[in-house]
Amino acid sequence: MKKVYAFEKNCLGCGLCEVYCRTAHSKSKDIIKTYKKENVDSAITIEEIEKNGVKTFFALQCRHCAEPKCVQACISGAMYKDENGIVRNIKEKCVGCQSCIMACPFGAIKMSVSGTVISKCDLCTENGNEPACVKNCPNGALKFMDLEEDKKIR
Amino acid sequence: MNYLIIGNSCAGTSCAAEIRNIDKKGNITILSEENFPAYGRPLISYFLQGKQTLETIKYKKEDFYTKNKITVKLNSKVQSVNTTKKEVVCENKETYKYDKLLIATGSIPFVPPVNGIEKHKNVYTFLNIESVRNIQKVVNKNSDVVIIGAGLIGLKAAEALAEQVKSVKVCDMADRVMASVLDKNTASVIQNHIEKHNVTFYLSNTAKEVKENSVILADGTELNCDVLIMAVGVRPNISIAKDINIKINRGIVVDKYMQTSIKDIYAAGDCVESFDVLSEQNKILALWPNAFVQGKLAGSNMAGVTKEFTGAFPLNAIGFFGLHLISAGIVDTKQDGYKVYIQKDDTKDLLKKLVIKDDKLEGFVLINTNERAGIYTSLINDKTPLSSLNYDITKQNIGLNVFSKDIRENKIFGGI
Ligand SMILES: Cc1cc2nc3c(=O)[nH]c(=O)nc-3n(C[C@H](O)[C@H](O)[C@H](O)COP(=O)(O)OP(=O)(O)OC[C@H]3O[C@@H](n4cnc5c(N)ncnc54)[C@H](O)[C@@H]3O)c2cc1C
Ligand code: SF4
Ligand code: SF4
Repeated sequence: MKKVYAFEKNCLGCGLCEVYCRTAHSKSKDIIKTYKKENVDSAITIEEIEKNGVKTFFALQCRHCAEPKCVQACISGAMYKDENGIVRNIKEKCVGCQSCIMACPFGAIKMSVSGTVISKCDLCTENGNEPACVKNCPNGALKFMDLEEDKKIR
Repeated sequence: MNYLIIGNSCAGTSCAAEIRNIDKKGNITILSEENFPAYGRPLISYFLQGKQTLETIKYKKEDFYTKNKITVKLNSKVQSVNTTKKEVVCENKETYKYDKLLIATGSIPFVPPVNGIEKHKNVYTFLNIESVRNIQKVVNKNSDVVIIGAGLIGLKAAEALAEQVKSVKVCDMADRVMASVLDKNTASVIQNHIEKHNVTFYLSNTAKEVKENSVILADGTELNCDVLIMAVGVRPNISIAKDINIKINRGIVVDKYMQTSIKDIYAAGDCVESFDVLSEQNKILALWPNAFVQGKLAGSNMAGVTKEFTGAFPLNAIGFFGLHLISAGIVDTKQDGYKVYIQKDDTKDLLKKLVIKDDKLEGFVLINTNERAGIYTSLINDKTPLSSLNYDITKQNIGLNVFSKDIRENKIFGGI
């Protein structure tokens, strides 16, 4: 399946992917209104690596695993893998127990700002063809692709 | 091929789903003693609390059974298994043939004998929807509730009731809450937090006698009691297995393929003994994720795709009144050789404890500092040498950046 892949050498750590992630998951879909009025979670974590005084970054979101540990651990059935392979979370069912946070080996799940449910990447492909983070990364550090395709590139 | 599954919960449904992944044609039937579709069992406390409904606690979407052509028979308690005829008989006299059978009967509550308990009208355990429905009928804002057992289940019942009743009193023989999972330090953080919410503890104390309207503790304290919840603990539900002489220790004994000592009969979930990779012993690991993994593995082996169970370790994620706790592996270190790192902030109920042995992470406890906890879990699971990591995990918050570039990219690009 197509997933979001991060290319460290292109990542500036600017955080724009997070801004657009929030906007894509907001009610208004407006970048300013989202920032000012809506309390929306970003499903992305930007990590920093410091080596010999040089900082590099990469953005991480859910890997939509083939055998998702978060789904195995979920006590409510809120977390599930849909027919397209996307690992989703049903907010109405989630009790915020954090079993999925305990299980995800990527640390790709966050507690939502509300503190009662979790928040994770849903690939937001409904909004168009490419996830919002990929579409808006100014330096091409995020690519939306199939693993096979990816092997050819690397 | 007839696949028959006893128990329509975590292990049973994950087994059924996996069988269907592999065998598109075989008949799959699940028998359930309960009269309600599969639900997230741990969610019964949220249901009692009013935070979830009978609709939202359902574990599977309606179309799970139809799409996967799985037949579920509710109100069908299995009475006996005939291993020669390969047939199961239910209490309602229905019989079912099987080629492969899964026992996923889960846990039953352990209720110790207490003097006079038969005198009290409202005594309940806390394990299924039925128990919640019964409790709901008798509690109101004037009720004094006594809960015997300060383990996970007792505390979840306490949380669910605290705001609906006059008082909730929890008593336990142990000197701390969640004694089987937590060390004293951690337990006290949890206890202090819960005490702020209309719950009183009576620890190192047991129920000596039950009267019509009260409970008398070992130290003589008498607690008013309109509703008594027995949450002392759970035991593997092994009665069916026992009747047909399947090998049992404390739980049903299974091999790496989740097969019992009788051919074509498998078992998974709370009713079996699991290999704990950290203590290297067989243990009862009555936990939801473990039941899921075991059910799935059993399903795979039943459908002919051989897969081995590689073992498990204790894993708990639980919240009480907004405090979140995640613990894994070995947390109470009595033997030598363990290095323990603790970071604590009492003003914020914050705690991080890492347990390290021979360059490996073997356990952790996190309270209110749970970000990216699964990376710690993966370090335990993969037995990753800590010296191979990019930084000292006791000095810095964990991230994927802890792994070297090669490993990190392998994880991200390789997926799981
Ligand atoms: C209040 C509560 C909170 C919990 N919280 C957590 C948590 O936060 N995290 C966690 O990991 N675990 C938690 N657990 C434990 C978790 O629920 C269990 O580990 C899990 O449900 C085990 O699944 P299972 O499929 O093995 O068995 P079960 O869920 O116990 O299901 C077994 C099923 O088999 C049925 N059955 C039994 N005998 C028969 C028979 N003869 N015929 C037909 N049907 C039969 C039973 O009625 C039951 O429906 C909690 C449990 C409780 C009660
Ligand atoms: S949340 Fe974690 S475990 Fe679940 S699919 Fe995403 S990366 Fe995998
Ligand atoms: S926090 Fe929500 S999604 Fe995660 S395991 Fe708990 S109920 Fe499932």
